[in-house]
Amino acid sequence: MCMEKGHKPKKVFVQGPISPEFVSKSIASHQSKTNIGAHAIFLGQIRADQKAGGIVTGIEYSAYEEMAEKTFHEIRETAFEKFELTCLHIYHSLGVVPTGEISLFVFVSSPHRRAAFEASEFIVEEIKANVPIFGKELIGESGEYNWKENK
Amino acid sequence: MSIHITYFGMLAEIAGQADESWIADENLTVGKFRSLLLEKYPRMGEKKFKIAVNQQISEDFVPIEMSSEVAVLPPFAGG
Repeated sequence: MCMEKGHKPKKVFVQGPISPEFVSKSIASHQSKTNIGAHAIFLGQIRADQKAGGIVTGIEYSAYEEMAEKTFHEIRETAFEKFELTCLHIYHSLGVVPTGEISLFVFVSSPHRRAAFEASEFIVEEIKANVPIFGKELIGESGEYNWKENK
Repeated sequence: MSIHITYFGMLAEIAGQADESWIADENLTVGKFRSLLLEKYPRMGEKKFKIAVNQQISEDFVPIEMSSEVAVLPPFAGG
């Protein structure tokens, strides 16, 4: 199913990491849409940052879910107004995502590459700045943690 | 009047709870709410946070009406 402009808000949040299989199935499900000429995919992956108390082993995400879903919907509507898009999917993790795994999947499809590139950057920046998602960086093995903040 | 407050992330840790209800004056604004919040939880003064009223991030002049849903939001970390 393709997410087009003006459609009902669709669920963005998934529990735990987003699997590579899910990403590949999403690509496969767009092969019948032959007006698409370009996909841009952005994947956010959890980094093993070195912190004072040890190495980050994962991030535990939480969100103000109702406001976040609403904000995702607004970002989607704005992206359709600004860029020539065929479809657009956004998935974000909740709960624990271990390092090396995927927590954000933005999938933008357009007839042409320029719109796909530009829209994906726009969407990722909007998500980082405006969606009320919170992240607890889990550090080492001792139960230590640090609240993450987007720069 | 009664308002419902939800805390997220490190602010829920400081409040020691995820949500609570307050009885407040009729002429409450976001700015007034912020000072009441810091009076009740002085440690929130060390943290950056935004206040959303009915899921809309709101400046200090915005009035908080009866039965509003107020959320106290720490810095965002999505992505």
